[in-house]
Amino acid sequence: MNMPTENQAQAEHRALPPTTHDEYARQEFVRSFKEHLVKHVHGGNRAVYEAKVKPAFQQQHQRAPQTRFEVRDAMVREPHYQMFSTLLRTSQEMMWSSCQIPVQRNLTALNQAIAKRPKKARGSLTLDAALETPKYHTAVDIHCQPGGYHTEFVAEDASAGMVYDRAVYLYAMGQMGPYNNDIGASIVSWLQQQHPTFKPRRILDLGCSVGHSTVPYAQAFPKAEIHAIDVAAPMLRYAHARAEDLGVRVHYSQQNAERTNFADGSFDLVVSHILLHETSQTALQNIVQECHRLLGAGGLMVHAETPPYKGMDPFDAFLLDWDTRNNNEPFWARSHEVDLRALSRQAGFDPDLKFEELIPSAFQIAKAQRSNKFQGGDFGGGGLWFIYGNRK
Amino acid sequence: MSTPGKLKRKAKGERPYFFDDPNIDRVVSMVMGLAGEVAVLHDRLDTLERLVAQHGGPARAALDTYRPDATVAASRAAWRESFLGEVLRIVEIEVEAMSSGDTQPYEQAIAAVENNGRARRQKK
Ligand SMILES: C[S@@+](CC[C@H](N)C(=O)[O-])C[C@H]1O[C@@H](n2cnc3c(N)ncnc32)[C@H](O)[C@@H]1O
Repeated sequence: MNMPTENQAQAEHRALPPTTHDEYARQEFVRSFKEHLVKHVHGGNRAVYEAKVKPAFQQQHQRAPQTRFEVRDAMVREPHYQMFSTLLRTSQEMMWSSCQIPVQRNLTALNQAIAKRPKKARGSLTLDAALETPKYHTAVDIHCQPGGYHTEFVAEDASAGMVYDRAVYLYAMGQMGPYNNDIGASIVSWLQQQHPTFKPRRILDLGCSVGHSTVPYAQAFPKAEIHAIDVAAPMLRYAHARAEDLGVRVHYSQQNAERTNFADGSFDLVVSHILLHETSQTALQNIVQECHRLLGAGGLMVHAETPPYKGMDPFDAFLLDWDTRNNNEPFWARSHEVDLRALSRQAGFDPDLKFEELIPSAFQIAKAQRSNKFQGGDFGGGGLWFIYGNRK
Repeated sequence: MSTPGKLKRKAKGERPYFFDDPNIDRVVSMVMGLAGEVAVLHDRLDTLERLVAQHGGPARAALDTYRPDATVAASRAAWRESFLGEVLRIVEIEVEAMSSGDTQPYEQAIAAVENNGRARRQKK
């Protein structure tokens, strides 16, 4: 696998919407804007906290703040935090806007190009127009993408996928590689190191979006049959076109991960990547239960996320929690505080076979340039991913 | 309500405003929007100059299909980095002041000078 660095441009493939000179420059600006905030503005929050907010709190309460809520209540009045927040929110809005412009300009032609299936497709696409979009995706538009993952602005629309593919690259500032695939690639290399003899024959990726994380499995396990599901049709249309373009075999279908149509015990590896933090509490339980049903004996479930708040310094947890309210990630906070052992047990897994750990990012080479912190607005900058899973 | 074929521009959900006066947030958003468009112009000019140098004359079509190579992309990223430093200067000098302990109130700093260079002991 080639080792991209942050300075590499996003890899082009046919499905990625073409941009004019100025459209591209506008997107590049957003990437620089986000990088600049991480490098030069983000740190000011810690500085204000240490120099001013914490001492004032200590003076008043005879102790340091103990929870991220106490930190938040003290920080929201700080002009630097207010300015940081308004800039970060603005960068997020500019990101979506800059990615929408080239898609809107050419919507009909782009959708036609995506709908045009190759004569000999390797994988497949199965949509289900009757599938209901879960309420936890329609309440607010997750991470501020106008229309979310699911909205179709014309019939057979893939625009949400087109916008998303480019926006993820800008959001992570390239830190997930030219194919935005770092999360999947990191689990793949963890599997290869920790379970070298494990050769999954059937793999399922839940909440796959445009398949950024799905593709590395297809590349690493070419003999396996790979399925990937999502509730959002625009994502899947784009994912299918993209996978065919990249020359990998994946079967995409529109299904809810809480209850799929696959047979009991039909997979030996079920994975998800940053799906859990975007679902409600009930859905989370249903999904883990469904994983249990879908796995055969000895099968493996692995979910990747950013790390839980547990044991984290309250200030760091406060900043990591920025997205919950400010980037329309309503379930982010709660998903970082779940009792994973209980979750496994309730789903029918043997909790003694549960594991959770931080695994290194596949892009070690880029690591030195990273901030090495999990922080709001620096997605992928941690250089590590958190995984939770269970063997059946 | 959405118009068919028209992408929605606003993400559903109440937008947070961070300052007591939400107009401050709005102005920041406009300033950064403007900064973005200036950066677009900068890149366009930069492309134009490079093409002129290459071809001895500008060509509109060549301009639109121009893609920076890695070296050009890096030099533009560096330009934007310092451009942003200028636009966000007011925020960043405050961070710098805080990290370097340059936080003494003005009157106190002057008083310390007038006090024969001996700063009065301050309560931390
Ligand atoms: C953050 S994205 C996942 C990104 C992707 N896994 C990757 O690594 O690039 C979350 C995705 O999960 C999907 N999703 C949310 N809830 C779901 C559910 N219950 N069943 C299936 N997909 C779901 C959303 O539509 C969205 O595309």
